[in-house]
Amino acid sequence: MAVGQISAGDTFREALGRLRFFARRYRGRLAAGFMALFAVDILQLAIPRVIKSAVDAIHNRSATPDDLFRFGVIIVLIAVGIGLFRLGWRYLLLGFSRLVERDLREELFKHALTLDKSVLQQRSVGEVMALSSNDLAAVQLACGMGLVAFADAVVISIAAIGFMIYINPLLTVAAVAPLPVLVLLTRLLSSRLHRHFQKVQEQFSRISEFARSSLSSVRLVKAYTQEGMQVSLFHRLGQGYIRENLRLALVQGILFPVAGLVANISLLSILYFGGRFTLAGEISMGDFVAFMSYLAMLTWPMMAFGWVANLFQRGATSMARIGELLRERPALCDNVSEAPAETGRVDRVALSALSFTYPGREIPALADISLQLSSGVCGVVGRTGSGKTTLCHLLARYYPVKNGEIFLNGVDVNQLSLAAVRGGISYVPQDVVLFSDTVAANIAMGKPDATAEEIEAAARTAVIHDEIVAMEQGYQTRIGERGVKLSGGQRQRIALARALILDRPVFILDDALSAVDMETEHAIIRSIAAYLRGKICLIVSHRLASLAEADTILVLDQGRIVARGGHDQLIRENVFYQTIYRHQTTVAAGGV
Amino acid sequence: MRHDYGYFEEDHLVSVGELSLWRRILGYVRPHATPVAGAVFLSLVITATGLVLPYLVSIAIDRYIVNQDLGIDLRIHGLGRVALFFFGFIVLEFFANLFQVVLLEWTGQHVMHRLRQDLFRHLLDLDLPFFHRNPVGKLVTRVTNDIQNMHEMFTSVIVTLFNDLVRVVGILAILFWMNWRMALILCLLVPVIAANTIWFGRLARNVFREIRTSLARLNSYLQESLSGLEIIQLYLREKDAAERFTALNRGYFSQTIRQITLFGIFMPLLEVLATVAVALVIWYGGGEIVRNRMSIGVLVAFLSYMRLFFQPLRELSQKYSIVQSAMASAERIFQLMDSRPGLKSAASPLRPETVSGAVRFQNVTFGYEPGRPVLEDFSLAIAAGETVAVVGPTGAGKSTLINLLERFYDPEQGEIFFDDTESRRLDLFWLRSRIGLVMQDVFILPDTVRENILLGREISGTSLDEVLEQAQFAGVVRGLPQGLDTRIGEGGTALSAGQRQLLALARVLVRDPRILILDEATSSVDTETEMLLETALERVMAGRTSIIIAHRLSTIRRADRILVLQKGKIVEQGDHLELMRKNGLYRRLQDLQHTEYHGVAPEGTG
Repeated sequence: MAVGQISAGDTFREALGRLRFFARRYRGRLAAGFMALFAVDILQLAIPRVIKSAVDAIHNRSATPDDLFRFGVIIVLIAVGIGLFRLGWRYLLLGFSRLVERDLREELFKHALTLDKSVLQQRSVGEVMALSSNDLAAVQLACGMGLVAFADAVVISIAAIGFMIYINPLLTVAAVAPLPVLVLLTRLLSSRLHRHFQKVQEQFSRISEFARSSLSSVRLVKAYTQEGMQVSLFHRLGQGYIRENLRLALVQGILFPVAGLVANISLLSILYFGGRFTLAGEISMGDFVAFMSYLAMLTWPMMAFGWVANLFQRGATSMARIGELLRERPALCDNVSEAPAETGRVDRVALSALSFTYPGREIPALADISLQLSSGVCGVVGRTGSGKTTLCHLLARYYPVKNGEIFLNGVDVNQLSLAAVRGGISYVPQDVVLFSDTVAANIAMGKPDATAEEIEAAARTAVIHDEIVAMEQGYQTRIGERGVKLSGGQRQRIALARALILDRPVFILDDALSAVDMETEHAIIRSIAAYLRGKICLIVSHRLASLAEADTILVLDQGRIVARGGHDQLIRENVFYQTIYRHQTTVAAGGV
Repeated sequence: MRHDYGYFEEDHLVSVGELSLWRRILGYVRPHATPVAGAVFLSLVITATGLVLPYLVSIAIDRYIVNQDLGIDLRIHGLGRVALFFFGFIVLEFFANLFQVVLLEWTGQHVMHRLRQDLFRHLLDLDLPFFHRNPVGKLVTRVTNDIQNMHEMFTSVIVTLFNDLVRVVGILAILFWMNWRMALILCLLVPVIAANTIWFGRLARNVFREIRTSLARLNSYLQESLSGLEIIQLYLREKDAAERFTALNRGYFSQTIRQITLFGIFMPLLEVLATVAVALVIWYGGGEIVRNRMSIGVLVAFLSYMRLFFQPLRELSQKYSIVQSAMASAERIFQLMDSRPGLKSAASPLRPETVSGAVRFQNVTFGYEPGRPVLEDFSLAIAAGETVAVVGPTGAGKSTLINLLERFYDPEQGEIFFDDTESRRLDLFWLRSRIGLVMQDVFILPDTVRENILLGREISGTSLDEVLEQAQFAGVVRGLPQGLDTRIGEGGTALSAGQRQLLALARVLVRDPRILILDEATSSVDTETEMLLETALERVMAGRTSIIIAHRLSTIRRADRILVLQKGKIVEQGDHLELMRKNGLYRRLQDLQHTEYHGVAPEGTG
């Protein structure tokens, strides 16, 4: 991971910098919260003092029933005060951490929306998801519970030790001596605990993934009589899970009992040494009891120090990871210093010696592509990896291009605003992404104010209308996890309808009907002909049949245009074209 | 947007006292009776030491520290002895704790592992109609999260609940024994605290559920928008997406604030109640001491015991809800275990020695839903070694033929014969290993390429090489970093769609079935891979009965016979030329392809 390149100091500095920003934004809340927290601490420390006075008074037999009742009332009143202030700090300080989480997540998302493919292709969706869930959770925990526990532990331990020293310094040393062990131990073990916990989680998701893939291809598992094999693989995964869990349990089994042990050893030394001091009359009976109460108060802050150190460390690392994404700048952005040029409705697209190499690669994906497109259909064929999709991506402005390579109506795209270029293009990519929403909303995505008639018309043109109507709720049927499951062909046709509803001058179809069966594909090609009239169309396909309407066809190979022309010309001149043509037609003709 | 993304069901409440469920759970625990008994014993030890420690403190105070009757040396000596005991008990407690945690985890994990294995095995044995009714996501939740819920109950509740019970009863007994009047006064607080925690538990559960659903909603929108980022940008919907995300994010935020407020009210309330108990002890106990009816040591012990007493009460509601959700999970799991496959197996299934590969459908009627037959009175005979292609529009019943041949489903009426033996009389595994099925999707085990081809079969190295050559897969293997030992699937090297298809053909060759079924892939395989596939197919089909479901008419030229299926009936059959002459549906399907080329190149086709 990239974090390795940043030193720990930088990580902390960056995290602190971002935290300081939020601290300023919510300073009133933070100040009030910490005040409430300190008020709780002070009141909490007062209770043993009251108990001490009460025990001393009882021990001396000087307490009247009224006195005792008063002690009781004071204790309850203090407790109520503690309760109120505690509610206060929980609301203010834990609320602060949630506000930080909320604001950061919003910033993250809005930032991601501005990024282009050349930045995002280095990160998988899962990685960004992890930033928004795991890393934000770590940040939230650090500046919520972490901050509270830290402040609390500092105040309580200073105060409790202070009171103890006030009673008897020597006894304090004896009682507190074992506690630093606790700090070290929690520090050491809680990071280990976290690591083992993550391993358990990983194994768990491996099990889920295996079960999912096995159950979803149950037909094949059965057809290949693989039931036994699957069960034994599952058994292996399960045993790994047991192993990881036992490792985790061992750490847990050590951490918590050891904490109890250390606290009890402190108690023991108070019992023995404190007992002797009381015997010798150096401290009163009440002091002895109060000492034990203070000790009980100290155990938790000591564990907290170790735990909090890990929380802060994780929070800072996560914050740095989030910061890395926030620092990314899109390679493509509008030039703010100059007003963007205007083109009006695009009727000419020109590529001039366009070359493109993906970031981090050496071999260019496209080289020296020159092309004039005006209204009409231009087909593109070529092997996998010949640069067909890259060409579409560059036209759709997914990646930056150099000056003087792509022109719309004679204006360099780099002088136009991104929105203006994209607003002129309908692009139907190879991989379909639909959103968990109704069919209608998906089709109307680029035109939210589309009427029902427009949506239906687009669906009809994409030859999906009848299938939508056959669904239970027609156009209001939900797509996605909890909605209806669509076939690949249906998804592609909905994506097509989504593009068809827009009346944009440039239309790009990137092998977007691959999962649609032949008849339907044919019907689509016929029905979109009217829509395509007067538009600049680029159609990429593996199947020459889809290119029936093409005026020109380009053959791409290794990023270059190796041939161009009409069908007849290519049949005569291009070997590659001949091969696939012959293959597809003989197949169609049944080997005649 | 009222959708619970990713959550298939919410806890419907099962009675925690459901005896039949407990009996079945205990059935899984019984083999581990000894470690469980050990854990219970250890928890008794832990409870006992927890109770003894405050008592030792009170002895130290009353007998030695404040006892003016003894000489100072004796008092110090006595104190030392108590301290030694104290030390012994804390060491004992430590080890008991450590062993108990590990022991419980070990047992719990093994019990749940067995349950998970049984469930998984059971699921794989269920038939296709079952999978047709139940979405995979739901089944996976059973195998993973539901089992996890039960495990949670097992390790963190059952034994500790027992532990807590012993502790509460033990403390109460000691308190009554030390001073029954004061103990009685404390008992008045118990119902208040219990009511408080149960009420809180209910509210907390609701809030947690809300948080979970709103987070799931947020995450699924995030995932969607990130995978569709280019589409959002291209359609200029950035503002819209940001607004939607902000709304979801704020929804989640307000739920977390609700949780903070709820905890902020209830947690301190419990503290206040516990402090009220302390105040009562001081007020009443102090009076008792002044009246000389109680010693100061007892008062100190009372204060310590009370802390121990309230702790389990505070966690009670949390534990109760764990048990409740575990019982709901247990019910769902056992319900699933009780579902039986609908396919009847023969009493003594046949496993014929030889099989020629002849297949016959006789008056078969079948539908996935009652009253909506896909095939009706369908008859078809395929000779051994014959290659038959089936074409027809989507929904004509082509895939149903596969489902019946593989015996994923049984016909409603009529019979299917393999070499004159009715399919229902044959052993299911025997039948399926005589059929090779190649479909559009290929299942990949997370293992090496070799294992993925062999699928548990043994084969010599040279014949494996031969298989690779014949399946046109050798070239692919050569291109992989570790050849046959390259790991593929989850976490390994990814194969392209075409490469996976070639792998599937290699599998068929290893298994050498008499009957081959090709459910022709419609995925976009580029032309070159398609040619490789066709060469491989030629080898694979040689000498076998082959049934090709052609969605795309491309493999048809190899067929001895072409069947045109429409609405569950064979409307035409014959070879290509015969069918073309017939001028029917087949001709129409063919012409579609033809005219396209005519549109471009009138002189193009031959």
